Order: sequence, then C-alpha cells, then structure tokens
Amino acid sequence: MSQQVAQRYVGSPIKRSEDPRILMGAGTYVDDVKLPGMVHAAFLRSPFAHATIASIDTSLARKAEGVLLVYTGEELEALLTPGPYGLGLIMSMEKPVFSCLATDKVRLVGDLVAIVVAESRYLAEDATELIDVEYDELPPVATVEQAFDPSNPPIFEDLGSNILVQSEPHAFGDVEGAFSRADHVLRVTISQHRHQNVPMETRGCVASYDPATEHLLMWSANQGVHIHRTTISGRLGMDPEKVRIRTADVGGSFGLKLGGSREDVAVAAASRALGLPVKYIEDRYENLTASGQAREESFDVEAAYTDDGDILGLKVKMVMDAGAYPGLAGALPSMIESMLPSAYKIAALEFQSTVIVTNKATYVAYRGPWAAETFVRERVIDLVAHELGREPFDIRMQNVVTRGEEPTVMITGRSLVGVTVRESLERLGELVDLPGFRLEQEAARAEGRYLGIGMASYIEAAPGPKMPGMPLGREEMRMELAEDGKLIVFTGQMPHGQSHETTIAQVAADEFGVAFEDVQVVFGDSDIVPPGFTGGSRSATMAGGAAIMTARALRAKVLETSSHLLEANVADLRIENGAVSVVGVPASAMTLADVASAVRQPGRLPEGVDGELKVENAYDGGSGGWSGGTHCAIVEVDCETGLVHIERYVVTEDCGKLINPAVVDGQVRGGVAQGIGAVLLERSAYDDRGNYLTATFMDYLMPTTMDIPNIEISHLETVPLDPDVNFRGIGEGGMIVAPPTICNAIEDALAPFGVRIYQQHLPPAKLLELIGVIEPE
Amino acid sequence: MSETVDILLTVNGTQRSANVEPRKTLADVLRDDLELTGTHVGCEHGVCGACTVLIDGEAARSCLTFAVQVRGSEIVTIEGLAEDGEMNPLQQAMQASHGFQCGFCTPGFLMQITALMNENPKPSEPEIREALSGNVCRCTGYQSIVAGVLRATGQSPISDSTHQE
Repeated sequence: MSQQVAQRYVGSPIKRSEDPRILMGAGTYVDDVKLPGMVHAAFLRSPFAHATIASIDTSLARKAEGVLLVYTGEELEALLTPGPYGLGLIMSMEKPVFSCLATDKVRLVGDLVAIVVAESRYLAEDATELIDVEYDELPPVATVEQAFDPSNPPIFEDLGSNILVQSEPHAFGDVEGAFSRADHVLRVTISQHRHQNVPMETRGCVASYDPATEHLLMWSANQGVHIHRTTISGRLGMDPEKVRIRTADVGGSFGLKLGGSREDVAVAAASRALGLPVKYIEDRYENLTASGQAREESFDVEAAYTDDGDILGLKVKMVMDAGAYPGLAGALPSMIESMLPSAYKIAALEFQSTVIVTNKATYVAYRGPWAAETFVRERVIDLVAHELGREPFDIRMQNVVTRGEEPTVMITGRSLVGVTVRESLERLGELVDLPGFRLEQEAARAEGRYLGIGMASYIEAAPGPKMPGMPLGREEMRMELAEDGKLIVFTGQMPHGQSHETTIAQVAADEFGVAFEDVQVVFGDSDIVPPGFTGGSRSATMAGGAAIMTARALRAKVLETSSHLLEANVADLRIENGAVSVVGVPASAMTLADVASAVRQPGRLPEGVDGELKVENAYDGGSGGWSGGTHCAIVEVDCETGLVHIERYVVTEDCGKLINPAVVDGQVRGGVAQGIGAVLLERSAYDDRGNYLTATFMDYLMPTTMDIPNIEISHLETVPLDPDVNFRGIGEGGMIVAPPTICNAIEDALAPFGVRIYQQHLPPAKLLELIGVIEPE
Repeated sequence: MSETVDILLTVNGTQRSANVEPRKTLADVLRDDLELTGTHVGCEHGVCGACTVLIDGEAARSCLTFAVQVRGSEIVTIEGLAEDGEMNPLQQAMQASHGFQCGFCTPGFLMQITALMNENPKPSEPEIREALSGNVCRCTGYQSIVAGVLRATGQSPISDSTHQE
C-alpha cells in the first residue's frame, strides 16, 4: 500500500447519478422496453379463493382478434420442469409442490388460470373474457381457525393438512426459573395484520426467445438477476448459460420482486413457444390481489417481570399465515425467535411456532420480514410499564444492555457486540423533553385533547456481527480501468431506489483515487455482472466493503503496472485526481487514461508483466455489525373522529459510517412512512370466504403527503468494529420499528380510557371502538 | 376489427398524430404510439398520480383520459420539462434535495408540481402538501419532495436532520 487517499466523497450527501435520467423521464423501467415484433400477455385469474377446475374451454379465446396463444395450466405444465418459484427457490422447501398456472384447482382469488398472448394488451385482456371455466367451490381456508379445522380440505394435498410447519417449543435459558422468580406475569395476544409492499411499479417482464440461437433474453423488474435466472432456466429446463436476465431501472420493490415469479415463467414459456418477444406488465388489481402480501402473525405472549420492572423472560407461541403457494414464510419463525430478546437483558425465552397455509396471497418478504419480533417485544415493554405505572422510557433504560457489560450475547445466542440501543435511547432523551411533554399532555387532557408519546427500539443484523460458523456472505465485485481512464464497477447489487450507482461510486472513487464522475457502476445483466442481489439491508456493508477491497486491489495493480511505465518504485507512487504520479514529483504525473492506453501498446511493459487492469474480488463482510436505534412519536388522537395526527417523529439511529447521508435519511424516512401507513391505513383485507376486499387504491389506502410528518433524524456513528468497513445497512430499520413506535404513542394518548393495544392496525374505526365511542364489529 | 380514429395533438410543443382505438388511454398512446415512456402508469384507476401530465396547462391523469378526448390539445409530459437537454430548475432542485428514490412516481409528481408552480410561485409547505396529496410515493416519505419544491421556489428547505444541508 502506498498511502491513504483523502476521503472526499464518502460521508457527503452528493447528488445522485441516477437523478438526471429519472427526473427527465429517460429511465428504462421494464414497461419501457419495446422489442421488435413484441406481443402482449394477459392472465385469466380465479374469482374464487378455493375451487376445483371442473372444465376449461379456451376455443373462443383462441379465435379472438389478434390472439396468438392461449395456454391452460395443464398445457403450460407440459412445457415446464416442476420446481420452486419466487423465494421458494432460496428456501429450498420440498413441499408443497405446485404448478406454474393452476391445473386441477385454484387456491386464491387472483390465482393464475390461463395465459393469453395477443397483438396488444387490450386484445389479450379481451380474449381472457372469452375463456369459459367451470369451478366447483371448495370450503375456503381464510382464517387461522379454518386452517386448524381438520374437516377443511388441505389446500395442497401433499401437505396433508393446512399446517406448513409446526415446531416444538424451544427453550433458551432458565424459563421456568424466570417465571417462578417473577412477581408478575403479563398474558396477552399481540398480532400484526396482513399488509403489503405495493411498489409504485408493479411486477413485469419482457421475454424474448430466439429460436435460432436457443437463447432467452428476459428483461424484468427484480432484486437480483441471477436468482431470477435460476428460476427461469430451471422451470424452462434450459441451460442457465442460455438465459440472460437484464434489468435497468426498477420502480421499487421492498422485498416483492425477489426470485422469478409464476407469471415470469409463463411469459418466458410463451415467448419460447411463439419465437416472439412477449411483454407482461402486472396491473394494479393483480398486484394488490395476487403479487404477494406480508405480516400476518399472531402471538400468545407471557412475560415474566418483577415489581422493579426487570423483564425476566418470555414465553411466546406464534401462528403465521403463509397464504397459498408458500415461499418465504417457513424460514421466518427461526429469525423471529432468535431476534426476540434483541438489545435487552431478557434471560429466558420459550418460543413455539406454527405456520399455516390459507387461500390468500403468498406471504412474501417485505422490508424487515421478521419485524414481528420488534413489534411484540416493544409492545410488551410498554404494557409492562403501564402495569407498573412506570415510564416506558425508564423500563427500556433499565432493561437494555450496556456495551462492554454482561450479557454480551442474547439468550438465543446472537452476539451483541457493537449494539448501541442504549446510546440511541440516551440521545433520544436529549432530543425529546419527556418531563416537559408529560406536563403538556396533562394540560391538553384537561382541555379534552389526547396527546401521547411512544418510542420503540430495534436492532437489525445488517449484516450482523461476525460469529464462528456463521459466514456473513460473499459479495463479489469486479473493477476495471477502461481505456479512457474511467473506473468501471460491476456489481451484483440490483438497485431499485437505493442509489447504488451513487453510493458504490462514492466508495470506489475514494479508495481508488478518481473523481466520482469517473466511476461507472454497472448492474442488472446476468451475462456481465457477478451474482448477487439487493435485500436484507446488506448492501452498505457487503457492497460497500467489496468496493473498498476491489478498488484497493485494482489500485495496487495499477500502481504496480505504472511503476514500470514511470520507472519508479511502487512505494513512491500514488493515484490522485485521476493520475498516477511519483510522490513529490508532480511533473511525473501520468493520467489514468494514459496508463490504460500505454498498457495496451506492445512493448511498453516488460515481458511477463500483467497489463490487464482488471480485478475480481469478493468480500466476506469483515467484522459485520448491527444497525439499530430508537424512534419516538408524539401523536394526538381525535377522539371524535378516531384520526391520529403525528405531531413529531424523531429517529436516533446508528448504521455506522454514512456513505451518503441524504441517501441514508431517505431510506429511514421511507421506511417510517411505510410503518405509519401500516398502522393507520394499510390492510390487505379478506372476508371469511377468502374474497380479497382491497384490490384498488380506493380500498388499500396508501399514505400521502397529508399523513407523513417531517421526520427528524439524529445519527450516531458509535462503534468502529472493523479496520476497513464500518458502513451498515439501514434500508429496513424504519419499517421495522415505526409500527410499535406509533402504536405505543397511541396507547399512551388513550391512557385515560384505559386502552390497551394488542393489534397493529389502528384505523379510525378501530380507535373509536377502543375508546368506546362505537361498538365493535 | 376494432375501429380506429386519427388524432392530432401537440405534445411538448410538437404536433403529433396517431391512429388509435377510441378506448385507448392517453397514457398508453403517449407511451406506445408516441414512444414517450417517461409518463408512468401506476394504478390505471386515477388514484396514484404517476401518469399525471399537463393537458392545456392543467394537471390531469392520463390513465383516466382517452386520447380521443384530447384531440387538438396541448400536452406536456415529463420529457417536455428539460431545457436544451438540461434539467430545468425544478429538476435541478429535486436532485439537490434528493427528492426521489426509485423514480417511478417521479414524472407524475414533477408534472403536478409544475402545475402548482404555474399557479403559485411561492407555495407554503402546507400548500405544497395539499397540492401533492393526490400523488403517491412509496419510497421517500415525501419530506425530500416537499423540500425540493421549497428549494425550486427559492424558499429554505426543511432543516431537521443533522445532515440536511
């Protein structure tokens, strides 16, 4: 190593490289892809939650104007290789096995029954209406009770019942001891309601199979091109090398667009059959109904605590509703279990989980998929505080771990190294005048106004602390010095709003020694970029670290090569401002473009010296670490309308060193907005027949400018754990911790009514019920 | 065969023609027939605002408008905001404020804001929030967008983070 290059870009809120194109309408989202001869797909979807398909007649549709292809489930399945779809791929679940389109039966409203390809989307949709399907309805399984009722038919025959996974109780620490020592045991049932990702861009793809070369090119909106390729090539029975997935701009995802979907596979198969490019763009009705939903869990909780407010232990039984066509849900219970104690000295935990399948949309990843652990724990802490007549803030401070003191490991085994929840609470105590608020609250109550304050804390393994036997991952990256002296970065990250073209370039520019403008970040092409994906708040550490390590390796190689060109010792060389020079001899400077061009000329380098200015590298996450923090909301509840106004929202958080503070703030605020929406507005509602009730934006209410307050953010950058890489992920934190923050604030506001909150969804009608203004439904 | 109709309209200052089915929405005609894919379709039922364009100076939902309804009208889309290929002051202000993330709702917001600024050159924060309440953004929590409008109209951005400029 020669010398450290001054840090010029990392830490600065510099403008995004993505912005000129997206602000001028020049982005390339999947629906903007138009290939010669392209035709359009539409799907016929089930109107029933659970039914057998008695017969299906597509003859009229096949004859309809502009129609090129119609496949039923059975016809399509004959062209495919069975196997997993979506996140089922990553979860490697053996059962249930299911088809691409429904064959014998439909399993949710919106299930795929047939695909139609026509000259335009309008004509394709027209033709779906000409398909005649006779259904025999089956008893729907739309509730937990219905799923547990053995008289109901199994949705998936190979499961034998509607129970996907049922675990034995797992005990950590001395659970019985904790409960026998306790002065009190709180017994409550706490639940999260079903809600969903709702990216502004729906899902979609353009598949283009070339019969001459037998290659498939597929444009799609996704979070990782290689994961997508595995599903497409697997189900189509193709050599992965003959499938190329390309992705340019993606209009949000929040976990939804991970892994090739059943729709993607059907469209790819149609393109192969026709030898034509086929486009399918999900419409909003389809997106809300059938793309996937998240967060439907219920928890029977017992919490053992002392008169003094020490929380000694928890016993938790969870039931999670995985919906139909399960993918991710089976993997979540163990994550929720291991994270439940979080940054608190909870020394005993018993956890038991059951995952059921129902006739609802698939449970998918949504921004902090395991967030139930935070909701349950942070609600329990407030409930315990209320039982004891204590300030919830004080109960948190009393129970939260302190860095460098025991316990340094959660009772579930996860290391607490570098956790700064205590510091985030202390910072919050400085930013929010709690005693002053209590006086204000009392005065307001005297006037019939109901103010409340709530807070909640979380940590997220982003990527998590390094622990023996638990690798943090492997983030590959490639860099090369182009002939014009620009640094080209190839990443497996698949940005969909996270600004990686900017942040990865900031890190690489600093480490390599070029201007930010001279770095180009390449992503979204399975033929070109290394494997990878964007999700799980991993990219700050993993891609940030890979950028540092790879730029460092390329810099060493460029310096080594330049030492021959400049006839100087490597140790005397530096790269700065896009040029290589001998330290102290500015006149020696040779621009990187000159270096890149010189190495390509014969005879400029001694024989045997590698003039390829390219490196490949992989980063293992280094020491890793946690992100985390505390959020606080001050709300006013209007007890006549049930409306909640958020007066103030304060975030204290620690994601280590910030690459681009404006990007970090944007991630935090966006997550908080989704959390506020989850509590006050959003719900994926079904009736007890499994009919989906919220299939438009007039029913599924999204937060607007009128619902989301300005959010104050205070960053702690407390603990450097790693000698090189101390960026940690922040994408999910806001969505993980905002729901309990808001619920805690509302409960505090409604304390005069003795209200206790056990369910996360608190729209006006629910609040009026809790206050006693209206009767429960 | 579906009947088609010839239409003429002015888009971003240029006269354009198309031969379209009467049922084809303005959004689809802009995107498919005129190849102006900057206008995005987010819900196709008039709630999310991603497809907002200016029709004769007024912000309107191009997903709820049939192209045949706007024959002879002046349409401005996101592609019409740049000046000589460079971002206009609103676009520059949005970049400076890190207004957007994924960019999908962005065209609708910028067109709605353009309509707002034409009516009210110095809107207050409550006026901005009211004017943008019919546009949905899933990424940002709106604060950075509101800050961008304040910046574009020469007003101080909201200052409430340790890192806000």
